Amino acid sequence: MSEHHITPLRTYLIIAACLLFLSGVTVWVSYVDLGPLNIVVAMLVATIKASLVAFFFMHLLWDDKKNLVMFLMSLMFFGIFVTITLLDTEFRGDLGLNPETKNPINKRAAFYDTLPLTDTHGHPVDEHSDHHDEDKDHH
Amino acid sequence: MSHHNPDSPSHLKHYFYDVNQQYETSKFAMWAFILTEVLTFAGLFVAYIVYRSWYPDMFIDAHKLLDVNKGLTNTIVLITSSLTMALAIWAIQKNNRKLSVLMLVATFVFALAFLGIKYLEYSHKFEVGQLPGEFYSYMGPDAVHLNNPHIFFSIYFIMTGLHGLHVAIGMGLIAWLIYSTHKGNLTSEYYTPMEMIGIFWHLVDLIWIYLFPLFYLIG
Amino acid sequence: MSDNTKQNYLNHPKGIMSWLLTLDHKRIGLMYLVSGILFFFMGGLLALVMRFELAAPGNDILSNDLYNNAYTLHGAIMIFLFIIPAIPGALGNILLPLMVGAKDVAFPRLNLASFYIYSFGALFALYTIVNGGVDTGWTFYTPYSTQSSSNVVPMTLGIFIIGFSSILTGLNFIATVHKMRIPGLTWYKLPLFVWALYGTSLVQITATPVLAITMVLLMLERFLGIGIFDPALGGDPVLYQHFFWFYSHPAVYIMILPAFGIISEIIPVHSRKKIWGYKFIAYSTLSIAFIGFLVWGHHMFTSGQSVFSQIVFSFITYFVGIPTGVKIFSWILTMYKGQVSFTPPMLYALSFLFLFTIGGLTGIFLGAVALDIHLHDTYFVVAHFHYVMQGGTIVAFLGGLHHWWPKSFGVMYNQTIANIAALGVFIGFNGTFFPQFLLGLRGMPRRYATYDEQFVELHSYSTFWSGILGISIFIAVMNLFWSFIKKNKVDPGSNPWGGMSLEWTHTSSPPHPHNFEEEPVLQHGPYDYDKVIVEKTYKK
Repeated sequence: MSEHHITPLRTYLIIAACLLFLSGVTVWVSYVDLGPLNIVVAMLVATIKASLVAFFFMHLLWDDKKNLVMFLMSLMFFGIFVTITLLDTEFRGDLGLNPETKNPINKRAAFYDTLPLTDTHGHPVDEHSDHHDEDKDHH
Repeated sequence: MSHHNPDSPSHLKHYFYDVNQQYETSKFAMWAFILTEVLTFAGLFVAYIVYRSWYPDMFIDAHKLLDVNKGLTNTIVLITSSLTMALAIWAIQKNNRKLSVLMLVATFVFALAFLGIKYLEYSHKFEVGQLPGEFYSYMGPDAVHLNNPHIFFSIYFIMTGLHGLHVAIGMGLIAWLIYSTHKGNLTSEYYTPMEMIGIFWHLVDLIWIYLFPLFYLIG
Repeated sequence: MSDNTKQNYLNHPKGIMSWLLTLDHKRIGLMYLVSGILFFFMGGLLALVMRFELAAPGNDILSNDLYNNAYTLHGAIMIFLFIIPAIPGALGNILLPLMVGAKDVAFPRLNLASFYIYSFGALFALYTIVNGGVDTGWTFYTPYSTQSSSNVVPMTLGIFIIGFSSILTGLNFIATVHKMRIPGLTWYKLPLFVWALYGTSLVQITATPVLAITMVLLMLERFLGIGIFDPALGGDPVLYQHFFWFYSHPAVYIMILPAFGIISEIIPVHSRKKIWGYKFIAYSTLSIAFIGFLVWGHHMFTSGQSVFSQIVFSFITYFVGIPTGVKIFSWILTMYKGQVSFTPPMLYALSFLFLFTIGGLTGIFLGAVALDIHLHDTYFVVAHFHYVMQGGTIVAFLGGLHHWWPKSFGVMYNQTIANIAALGVFIGFNGTFFPQFLLGLRGMPRRYATYDEQFVELHSYSTFWSGILGISIFIAVMNLFWSFIKKNKVDPGSNPWGGMSLEWTHTSSPPHPHNFEEEPVLQHGPYDYDKVIVEKTYKK
């Protein structure tokens, strides 16, 4: 037997069950319309799952605290990167309040004009011969 | 100043005082490596977040072109593989070599399944033209109104592609572990490589835990 | 320890394979040193060619295209092939285990792998040079870099590969500092060079992965037109800049923190005085490492980011000057009432204080958005970063080489020539780069091979003094190598400067292959000149 801390088998199985359950939860919740809360709930569930994996499967709960600090630091720097970049991208133009000046580059790429319409299998549809599809073409 | 004490285990390097210092140092360094992996994917997550904030409607509609069932199956597959990886370490800690190898093989098989399902997804997308960047050509009735959907698929392919590359690398490492454990090189006295590769494998699971809702379950 | 033929890491084990497959951190450090100096001279040559071209207006020896290649390669080689890898790689590798009392770094095989990965990446850079160069500027801004027909891919691939070397070295050093100190060697008893390497390594492992993914995205943009940096495809070129500078600003702290560490070692030893403000210097290292991650947008003030983020970046940029200033004051206070000897290391340290202060302060000027709008992409910026990178890091590096040369190689160089060369470096450097501040203020833009007549006087001064600078650096380095050839051996037990850290008190010169004959027992701190008398010994 190893001298290191050995996680009990039961713990592993319970955590795995929780993870599978939470995966189901997150799929179910995605079908409920919560507006802007959807992304919040999804990330919350993902974070709970991630914490279970990190603390139990990756052993951070029982390890030297330095390992946890290292992991949290990585998340902190990720947070810094995202937040400060968004300070730029969300506030362009008139402090981001004017939709026209905020995303002036948000134009459709030119190559789309050359692409033929396709069916759901990706095969080009001939517009002139198939009249049934004309209604669907004009979204 | 020699540690070449004949009672020292053969795996103890001469610049470490004892096996515990060596083990703790390896684990710590592995976590520092995990930091670098998180920062690598961080760049891609930033790209995702920025582009999703610029094209919110396109992201919601484009994601419907992904197959949630395959995504969920992959999530289940990866979580189970994380369990079997943890059990492989549990087994070797109890010096049960056969069980450890069995669990490692199971992990490998699950990883293969993950890549198999990804292959099915990718080949479907190639077929219908839902491709990154300038290669995008899918203009089906559910996509024709989208504004620059190639960006969604660019980010999808790069992120799941890089993740898939890590799954493949993990499989290679696990294969080496299977060989090493089977040969008896890893025991309850010394299983540090398995511990370290296990941490890597759990990270691969961790990243997918976020990729799944962000691509397959938007809105 | 007076037998000059005793085993040391240079002569034992023998044979070329024992070097190519070495796991000895000191040998690996030496290999980094040699490659680093080679690339430094390569980059330096490019600089001299550029200065020659700029001596007169008009295209004298280089067309505009060739000039674009020259400054791109100069920047890429100096930054990615010399400063970032070589200084932690050379001095860090040789000294870190010695300073913590360890027999090697935590992962010696990884250390060797780091070196080979660096060499492999460097091959791509060399390929780029001989295959027609790259002309995008070392920053590879999109959209030009995604469209340029020059060798963007080999160069970015090389940088991507070298990034892994950087990360592995960082991992190794962090593990070594945390886990391999001898008993009793607490954090506050460590030499400040160790703190500096620790801070540098934290920055390396955190920032370099983002560079890696940026280079990958750039290559994917070129090959697949993925569209995330191209406005024609609905993407944003400024996003590339965010990605690039998120790494590249912390990268400049990778470049300067080891230099700060070297100065922290030289000044107390050559003033024979305890360092003033040990904890200030230690914590300011970590503060600079952290704050460095918050300010990258100050490279993008004219790029079109939101005004809100401009203000935030500018505001935070000012803060990074505070811990830096703390260091400068601490070093000066260390010298006060000390017994300062004007040895070559000390001359370089004094040069550093003067030159880095100018560089650092002009960085603060550039941190003001209103000023930077006018000064961005002018020679003011060029002068600023050369003052900090060359007047700062390279001067400190030369000082460190001169300080630890007798320890690392068991030979002593001619100190008179070294002093003269150091003076030449100081005067030549100021002569080259001070006029460039004035050029920038008067509107001379960066990256231009030709210019208006009004700038010719300042440019010709700059070129003239760049020749003096180049010659002085060359003499300084050759003088060091000459000590090898002349075999001016020192006694293995000697301590020519009277240093008090473990590498001076407990190892021979050059050190034994496994560093310490017996495990060192810590008796005093690295700067305890007030408690212990350490003699300067130096016998031929």
